[in-house]
Amino acid sequence: MRIGGQPQRPRRRLNLTPMIDVVLLLLVFFMMVSRFGGDLGLPMAVAAPSGGTAWQGPPRLVTVTGDGITLNGSAVTLVDLPARLAALMPAPDAPVVLRTGAGADVQALVAVMDGLRAAGISRLVLVD
Amino acid sequence: MRIDPPPRRDRPETLLPMIDVVLFLIVFFMIVSQFADTEPFSVNTPEAVSVDVARGDYTLFLGADGVAGFVSDGAVVTGDAAIDALQAARAGHCAVADCAAEPPVLRIKADMATPAARLAALLPDLALAGFDDIRLLTVPK
Repeated sequence: MRIGGQPQRPRRRLNLTPMIDVVLLLLVFFMMVSRFGGDLGLPMAVAAPSGGTAWQGPPRLVTVTGDGITLNGSAVTLVDLPARLAALMPAPDAPVVLRTGAGADVQALVAVMDGLRAAGISRLVLVD
Repeated sequence: MRIDPPPRRDRPETLLPMIDVVLFLIVFFMIVSQFADTEPFSVNTPEAVSVDVARGDYTLFLGADGVAGFVSDGAVVTGDAAIDALQAARAGHCAVADCAAEPPVLRIKADMATPAARLAALLPDLALAGFDDIRLLTVPK
């Protein structure tokens, strides 16, 4: 008869529970922190300081103020603006000058830029 | 006398597939995720629909009160010094990289309540600082 005869099991299992805890914690951290996709934004044309190419066609000055939008001085709505501008554009990529007036915030400016970009007018030069 | 056999211990082998999957997920999230920029102050980004992905090398923040902010090497710089810090960062970058072939892109993260005139007044300064390619960050509406 063998007492205490069973030899020690040669390999002891590693306790995996702490590792699983840490790994799940890391997983939750990365899932919470990660952001997918890049930032979104509107490109802004900077007015060329030295002349550049000559202005083509009639003036296209869009002024954004706190009271609304004017095109070359006459009031216009954001819905009508692309169509009114299209008549003044000698080429689809012709520049349009965007001027900011008193009371306009960035959201109002972005709304105008957004509406014009949606209509295919993307060369917007923002001036003071 | 009957002696019950010792209860079988849980077999840890059954955990291995789960660990595989979890580690795979961790690697996936580590590779895919991007960390948000440090923001010098809270900014409510304006909303827009027709936008592009705006990758950029530098991000200039513009608060609702019109104060500019820039994070230079982890240090927050606000006010007019932000433009100087931005210009210094660009100069440091251009000293080691070919900025003529690949001009650095500047992203402006302006608050939706910032006066638009403030943003417009900033652009000539930024053009002088050497940035020709500027994106205005927005969020989807």
